[in-house]
Amino acid sequence: MSVRVEGARKEFRTRRGAHVVALDGVDLEAKPGELLVVVGPSGSGKSTLLRAIAGLEGLDAGRVVIDERDVTGVPAGRRDVAMVFQEAALFPHLAVAANIGIGERARGTRRRDIGARVREVARVLDIEPLLTRMPGQLSGGERQRVALARAMIRSPKVCLLDEPLAAVDTELRLRMRGEIRAVQRSLGVPMVHVTHDQAEAMAMGDRVAVMAAGRVLQCDAPAELYARPATTVVARIFGPLPMNLLPAADGIVVGVRPERVTLAEDGEGRAGSVVAAEPAGEECLVRVRPDDLPGELLVRLPWAGAPHAGERVTVTWRPADEHHFDAATGERR
Amino acid sequence: MRRWPLAAPYLVGSCLLVLAPLALAAVLAFTDYFGFVAPEFTGTGNLTRLAGDRTFWDAVGVSALIVVVVVPLRLLLAVGAALLLARRRGARTAIGRAAAYLPSTIPDAAWALLWLWILNPLYGPLPALLGALGLPDPGFLTTPWGARLGLALVMTFQVGEAFVVALAARIAIPGHLHEAIEVEGGSAWFAMTRVTLPLMAPIVLVLAVRDVVVVVQNAFVPALLVTDGGPANATLTAPLVIYRRAFEYGELGYASTLSVTLLVLTGIAAVFPLWLAARLAARQRTRA
Repeated sequence: MSVRVEGARKEFRTRRGAHVVALDGVDLEAKPGELLVVVGPSGSGKSTLLRAIAGLEGLDAGRVVIDERDVTGVPAGRRDVAMVFQEAALFPHLAVAANIGIGERARGTRRRDIGARVREVARVLDIEPLLTRMPGQLSGGERQRVALARAMIRSPKVCLLDEPLAAVDTELRLRMRGEIRAVQRSLGVPMVHVTHDQAEAMAMGDRVAVMAAGRVLQCDAPAELYARPATTVVARIFGPLPMNLLPAADGIVVGVRPERVTLAEDGEGRAGSVVAAEPAGEECLVRVRPDDLPGELLVRLPWAGAPHAGERVTVTWRPADEHHFDAATGERR
Repeated sequence: MRRWPLAAPYLVGSCLLVLAPLALAAVLAFTDYFGFVAPEFTGTGNLTRLAGDRTFWDAVGVSALIVVVVVPLRLLLAVGAALLLARRRGARTAIGRAAAYLPSTIPDAAWALLWLWILNPLYGPLPALLGALGLPDPGFLTTPWGARLGLALVMTFQVGEAFVVALAARIAIPGHLHEAIEVEGGSAWFAMTRVTLPLMAPIVLVLAVRDVVVVVQNAFVPALLVTDGGPANATLTAPLVIYRRAFEYGELGYASTLSVTLLVLTGIAAVFPLWLAARLAARQRTRA
């Protein structure tokens, strides 16, 4: 089972009449059993892409293929996809058990036959004690677990997740990343997970598609995306910190990751003054204004011995850590 | 700043115009007040008379019948229009919403007189239409059941306020709940009966109570102007009986007894739906 989007194009017209291109020729595939994360800033079209796969949004051009079947014109209910919404989309008037089973009810399964399945899925996700509760009595994490259970119960062909962890607190988010992975592994179905959090993308994805302005800029394994970003935009979106981009000679932009910049012991390198130094636990985020360039360099240094604002420093990096991009197109050279 | 002074104009108004007259009526209910001489307490005399007052209890029966027929129809219209007109689809939606509200902007008396013309057996368009279609004319103003049907028709279409409230309740349901049903393959009927209507239920129940009150009270104007209680007292509603007792026979004391009785009966009818509405609303409150 796989899910594929080919040449997807979608335009919206805003209230004021302006055209917005939400999807601008998107090609993407989640292979059988793969967890594909789509990451991008808000307005990049990633949610529209997910809704188009689900069938909640039509396409102006292009195709959606699920399990080698063209479902472009097929209504959402007959695509055999499961979706977890950002706000969990639990029905406030139904108890948890009924919420998990509502899809089966909607498809006409008898109530008697649903109970056992609901309990089984609830056991897997460790939410059995919640089955008789109402959604209003659940915490954010519990709500998302119930939503996940509702997606699992139907053994779908593809599972779609629309920022399910955006409203969950940090500790729980870290734990649920792993839980979602485990669920996806046990189902063995392709999962498309949309998020704006690049750390989540890096942690969860078999592959990650980086989207901006309605286009997929790059789709690769997280390590590859980090090591070889295809464009300057990807370099700034993907990674724990946005990459430093420095104009250089011959129409080239040199990129270097803040985590690869060090203080020069011997004074060889770029001299500049420290604008600000933010503590970040063991580390310190230092912003340096170089003497010979406009703008600032972001540098991640160990907390011990980090410079203070106003100090003079010299920074350097290994040539191997440099990324080269075309200044005009932003593409990797 | 304390906020309660802002409620003062309303409090003063409701004390002077609602609570004080109500208290007065409750006192007068136990007197023989005629309006010319000071009222004298008659103890339980009015209650004894009330118990044997066939005219009043028949009128309560007519009012109850009107409520049982008209309130479901009004809710069906209001909620149905709200469901159909919930999604914005440009000018069509705007026109539809205006059309659903418009009848409520017409004053009750003008509305009643309009229907007197629509229903009249000589040149009324509705009997003429029924005749042209080969359907029997129930005799809207001339036979007892025809007149009751006519009265029900007059009272059915002014549902503007209920429509606006139902529309707000429908629009307040988050869109992703319906999308979740769509993805799960649920039909439009499933979405409406299992999601939309259950979520709107508490507000619809409150609307039902409000409609019971409105219909009981408003069954006065058309009963007076369109059918005048007739024929053969078939449309003699409770408020019309009270009005006649008070202002045609001048029995203000006994009319107060009837008024308070009607209020108590309406209150009893309202208790269960209000209790149910509160329970349902508490059950589905999203944040505990």
